[in-house]
Amino acid sequence: MRAVGPGSGLGEGRGQDLDGLLDRVARGDQDAFEAVYDQLAGPVYGLIRKVVRDPAQSEEVTQEVLLEVWRSASRFDAARGSAATWVMTIAHRRAIDRVRSATAAAEREHKTAQPQVLTDEVAETVAANMDAERVRRCLGGLTELQRESITLAYYGGYTYQQVAALLHTALGTVKTRIRDGLIRLRDCMGVSW
Amino acid sequence: MSFLRHDLHTLTGAYVLDAVEPAEQARFEHHLRRCKPCGHEVRGLAETATGLAMAAAMPPPAQLKERVLTAVAVTRQLPPAADRPRRGRPAFGQAWIPRLAVAVAVASLAVAVALGAIGLSTRGELDRARAQNQAIAAVLAAPDARIVTQATAVGGTATVVVSRAEQKMIFTTAGLPRLPAAKVYELWLIGPPQIRRAGLLAAPSAGKTPPLLASGLVAGDKVGVTVEPAGGTSKPTTTPILLMSLPA
Repeated sequence: MRAVGPGSGLGEGRGQDLDGLLDRVARGDQDAFEAVYDQLAGPVYGLIRKVVRDPAQSEEVTQEVLLEVWRSASRFDAARGSAATWVMTIAHRRAIDRVRSATAAAEREHKTAQPQVLTDEVAETVAANMDAERVRRCLGGLTELQRESITLAYYGGYTYQQVAALLHTALGTVKTRIRDGLIRLRDCMGVSW
Repeated sequence: MSFLRHDLHTLTGAYVLDAVEPAEQARFEHHLRRCKPCGHEVRGLAETATGLAMAAAMPPPAQLKERVLTAVAVTRQLPPAADRPRRGRPAFGQAWIPRLAVAVAVASLAVAVALGAIGLSTRGELDRARAQNQAIAAVLAAPDARIVTQATAVGGTATVVVSRAEQKMIFTTAGLPRLPAAKVYELWLIGPPQIRRAGLLAAPSAGKTPPLLASGLVAGDKVGVTVEPAGGTSKPTTTPILLMSLPA
């Protein structure tokens, strides 16, 4: 586990080494891809649901992301970050693209989002997930402004300017709180990179 | 200057959360190329963000796996990047992350292509539209096709699908402000050697302009859009409302 310090729990116990699997995926190994799917489809879908919210659209984006992982596995470079981070970065950016893109898309989402009842995703997700447990504990160690800034930006898909407006806080303050909060999270989660 | 640098440095957090506007993101990525400690910090914070992603895990819909595996079986993979940037280059730049799912591009462009064909009546016009659609399909199907989207200075977004192998790109926009009849949006290829005209954006349908195909791309070309008098000009005469770099 390159990305995570010993005993951190993050990403451990998730079966085969993702870096090695992606290497096989790049050579066209569909079984390796299925193993990657089994490890990462849940986090990819969950993250996209957080940002996009609409289940049908989330499913669409998830499918695109996973197909993208298959297509561009050869572009993954372990020297630049962990396999999980490579995949999650693609997923987050695609989710963001979806929510921030055209006005037309925004309107479409508005229409489809109306009849649907929003469940408490947090409760749903956290179930029996050790990583989630740890991350939640670490999030609990942040100041309220740090935590809110980070969750609005990452799960909410807002720019830091939008976060500043939502929190009625100065731009520079939000920018530094996001960074300070992430540094604190990093140290709490034992990420060693 | 040092204030500016410090200011940029504090963007590491917002950057890994994708919470930075495109223009500022470009400035930051430029800074990242020269700032080693920033690159290191970005990597660590990106791994931290992955922890946030893992914590959000939800069981995906049951039928999704079947569909993804089916799609995988019929989808060609990209070859390794020809000039994979070496270590020490920006850890997190565009080159590393394929910001594309060609599937999306195909879906949204197919709509635009269909819309573009509306209103054509003569045989010649239809034939030309068909030829153009085939050329567009060739770019979309190119194994090296990449897509970039960027907001314009006047609102709305521009999307480009580029194939270096084909030396072509497709350009569309969504949500650009309407122009008076005497004005037009003109597209430019802005290269280190010269600026070339790349066509006029047609009137939008449902807020989107029909895809415009530009050929003869060379390395280092950027894409620009200016507002010009109807009929276009041979050189840009106003400040670009969009200036975007193309993925290598």
